[in-house]
Amino acid sequence: MVYKRKSYSAGDTNLNKKYKTKRRVKDLDQIDEDLQEKNAPKLLNQEVDFDKPGNAQFYCIHCARYFINNQALQEHFGTKVHKRRLKALQDEPYTVEDSERAAGQGSWKQPAKRKIETQPSTENQPKKLKNAT
Amino acid sequence: MRIETCYFCSSKIYPGHGIQFVRNDCKIFKFCRSKCHAAFKKKKNPRKVKWTKAYRKTVGKELAIDPSFEFEKRRHLPIKYSRDTYTKAIEAMKKVETIRQKRQGAYIMQRLRKGRELEQERDVKEVQRDLALIRSPAAGLKERQGQQMAEDYKESESENEDQMEGIVEDGGEVIL
Repeated sequence: MVYKRKSYSAGDTNLNKKYKTKRRVKDLDQIDEDLQEKNAPKLLNQEVDFDKPGNAQFYCIHCARYFINNQALQEHFGTKVHKRRLKALQDEPYTVEDSERAAGQGSWKQPAKRKIETQPSTENQPKKLKNAT
Repeated sequence: MRIETCYFCSSKIYPGHGIQFVRNDCKIFKFCRSKCHAAFKKKKNPRKVKWTKAYRKTVGKELAIDPSFEFEKRRHLPIKYSRDTYTKAIEAMKKVETIRQKRQGAYIMQRLRKGRELEQERDVKEVQRDLALIRSPAAGLKERQGQQMAEDYKESESENEDQMEGIVEDGGEVIL
């Protein structure tokens, strides 16, 4: 995950808010579960939900984020945030069993490296992007 | 009652210590202190935070794979009590622990030995490269120059003698 490199001189009110359990977002191991073949199609083709941004039609599965339209989603795929997330997902997620193994209950297992790629873009993407790729 | 392990730093959690977080998918995370809890809330990866056991094992700082780790296990069913097995088990635990500690210590010492070798190699290289700092290249330059001059003088003298003899043999006019 991304570690902070900035100074706190501007205050950390927003950070503290972000880390509240109330605003908790999905963990990497939850996203890893989402990426499994049985769960991924459900998340990528969600029903129309008026409460979610973009009616839940434009979802980035790796970042667990809704976007308002396809252009925003496509632009997101090019950002640093998304690429960093892909890299963070390369390693197998850390589990409670791993923590026990590190404590000396059983031999340590190195996390397996996997290849993670951005989800294939949907059919109804704008023409500009289609020509570009 | 049970001594739990911390999710983040893998240390022991004794009864009455630490905090427990139950995620909305019923997964339980146990933390030994607020430091570990805060790190979890910030979504830090224990494999990448240097003070955790998980980091030390992924990077190879500590003994990670060994049969001596296979004895300690989480057992959900207690074994039926018999004095014999319990006394034996307690003795075995002590033995296993001593063996494990020995192996862990040996692993670390071996790792450090490698570093010492590299250090020595580096030192030798540095000395060879920067020998000028220890012994100036100009040291003894005057002596060497003096010797050179003396040699040159001798050579020139002998040459002169040869020339003189040649001239005398020719029997020509010699103006001195």
